[in-house]
Amino acid sequence: MDLIHNLKEVFEIDAKIKNDFQIEVEAKKELVSSILLYLKNQHGFIHLDHMSCVDWIEDEVFELVYIVWNPNTKKTVLLHTKIDRNKPEMENIDTIWDQANTYEREFREMYGIEFPGLVAEREFILEGWTEMPPMRRDFDTKKYAEETYATRPGRENAEDVREKIIKRTGEEIPDFAKKYSRD
Amino acid sequence: MTREKETTLYLGPQHPGITGNMMIKLKVSGDTVVSAETHLGYLHRAFEKLIERRNWLQSFTILCRFCVPEPDPIELSYALAVEKLEGRAVPERADYIRTIVAELARIQSFLLWYGGQSGSGGLYTLGQWSVGDRNYILDLFEDLTGARIYHMFMWPGGVRRDLPEGWVDKAYRTMDYLEKRLDDYNKLLFDNAIFQKRAQGVGIIPKDKALEWGVVGPPLRGTGIKHDVRIDEPYAAYDKIDFEVPTYEGGDVWARALVRRDEIKQSINIIRQALDNMPGGSYYNRIPNPMKWTVPAGNAWAKTESVRGEIGFYLVSDGSNKPRRAHLRGAAYAHGISVLEKILPGENIADVSFILNSLGVCPPEMER
Amino acid sequence: MSNKINTIGIPSEEEIKKAQIDFSPRCTAAGRVNDKETQKMVEYILNFARKHSLFVLAYGTGCGAIEIPATMTSRYDAERFGIRGAATPRQADVLLITGYLSTKTLKRVIRVYEQMQDPKYVIAFGSCTINGGMYFDSYNTIKALDRYLPVDVYIAGCMPRPESVIKGFIKLQELIQNGNAGNGECYRDNLDWYRTNQQKIIKNWDFPDEYNW
Repeated sequence: MDLIHNLKEVFEIDAKIKNDFQIEVEAKKELVSSILLYLKNQHGFIHLDHMSCVDWIEDEVFELVYIVWNPNTKKTVLLHTKIDRNKPEMENIDTIWDQANTYEREFREMYGIEFPGLVAEREFILEGWTEMPPMRRDFDTKKYAEETYATRPGRENAEDVREKIIKRTGEEIPDFAKKYSRD
Repeated sequence: MTREKETTLYLGPQHPGITGNMMIKLKVSGDTVVSAETHLGYLHRAFEKLIERRNWLQSFTILCRFCVPEPDPIELSYALAVEKLEGRAVPERADYIRTIVAELARIQSFLLWYGGQSGSGGLYTLGQWSVGDRNYILDLFEDLTGARIYHMFMWPGGVRRDLPEGWVDKAYRTMDYLEKRLDDYNKLLFDNAIFQKRAQGVGIIPKDKALEWGVVGPPLRGTGIKHDVRIDEPYAAYDKIDFEVPTYEGGDVWARALVRRDEIKQSINIIRQALDNMPGGSYYNRIPNPMKWTVPAGNAWAKTESVRGEIGFYLVSDGSNKPRRAHLRGAAYAHGISVLEKILPGENIADVSFILNSLGVCPPEMER
Repeated sequence: MSNKINTIGIPSEEEIKKAQIDFSPRCTAAGRVNDKETQKMVEYILNFARKHSLFVLAYGTGCGAIEIPATMTSRYDAERFGIRGAATPRQADVLLITGYLSTKTLKRVIRVYEQMQDPKYVIAFGSCTINGGMYFDSYNTIKALDRYLPVDVYIAGCMPRPESVIKGFIKLQELIQNGNAGNGECYRDNLDWYRTNQQKIIKNWDFPDEYNW
């Protein structure tokens, strides 16, 4: 295919066909913005569909995914790149697509990835957050929730408390509900 | 020469004109908006974090709560992504049932939109009619799935239940009734001089910038660009069904309203065709024990068309019984933040909630 | 059944009772009966008038807000009970907490509640306001609303149907008629207890020290 051939020629990267509509590319972090600009200007991938981030804590990397779409050929390119998890820093692409700004703000807050040159308030979704960025794999949300928020006594776990309620209030379990009992 | 004073105005989070729990910080000069800035986080529940702690099937309780007005396209996107990862086949009957449910979800969301769009323009009668009639669709959902709002119906490998007895007739009757009612709605909204005056030329998205800005769905088709996931990358049974995608030129609130008006008719048409051609056979390709069910490692990107635009799921599996990462691309993600901040300057304050409704801004799917 | 529960380390009835006294909201219905014999006539009439004119603040704090349009419009028509919307907190009687509250929203909700005029009522909507519901392990949502605000009526379910919403409102009307609803005064008396709980989870606390709005 034309696009795969061109990517090989210009950037020396291998693209593979994922399915009828999707092409998958993996590239080094330094090449990402030039590949995206190339796709946008030369190949008509003018629509930034999505950006995503995956935490591979075992390999100590963050994987960033850029999904761009071409309205004429109806093809999608998924561009993967990996960045160091201990010093996460990535090039800012909101000069190419404005809406990338929103994604980058979110990743900065949720994963702690820095985007040099990103102009936006640091607080986006959370407010007064002092812990580690919450979407990282090593942040234990259940432990944090148990320590921070009061839970209702007697309802700390998923135990079936209907028997107890019956004892306390004298209510009856209706017949249709009995078959859903967990015992 | 006098320079008008700039005032900061906080639209939300508690405001009757806002489309959910979010806040727009407006700088206004007189009645005109100078700049707008969207503030989020009021509905952040850390869904994507919670999905990482649930197994593949348990995540469905969370999925439908991503966007409340229309949970079904989100379930469908996720189910499609899981099927892509696993290579699981879907029976043909399930495809047709999925199409019907997705279209019913579109119609009920359109009816809710009628109420929001007219209510923010000060026309309250239409909201009483259309939101009241929306209950007939919710009744169909209740018969089929057991719940009015959150269905958890479209699972990987098919759907959870077959069509119950008598449901098809009821669905036909409801479609006939709605088709009759649509004329009433349209007379009330599109023949109304107030709505015409307020909608035309307001909230314009330029055609040449729309795709670059990340505009999708009816707002994109309102600028004259024909893009619909159902046609471009057909899923479920859409490739076997004959339907049109309406487009209008202009890019303003009026064009977006016309697109939605025509799309309801198309949805009714699609449901009728799917009911007519419903094949027999199995509705579910059974998955293994959900607690032990593992999905092969890899990543998948699947998208579906919702009322507000395309909804995509980027799903990563590491081969275990839990998703490694499930990232939703909400339709409103670009609409509600970057597009809104670009088109609001220069508009009247009173039109802000009007534009919000026409873009279909839905905060829970922006912050998740 | 009871033996089995005790062996897996569930607290006994007494322990729960003790924990509940420490935990439970300071403001609960006192169980008064407000009829013509025991209460002043003027209060009876006031309560009768209040219960038939409930102005609900239009603040969709969570996903439960989707059933509110259905409740208010033609099929369920909540207005026949005197329930209708109000745009601003100062004109509203009822604060409807429609679902989970993230910490960021909780701060706004407290502010909204304190701005409302007495008598004011709170209806908590959905399982997630009762015990966290399906968000039990989320780092950003509170698990039990009555720690932070006095609640009059809970409506269980996820999400509650319009019928149960109306049932909840009727329950509130009963409480109002008996003189048991409305905890604005109690909230002010126990402000320290509520403030301690609120400040524990709201990190950037910037409320005025005095409660004077």
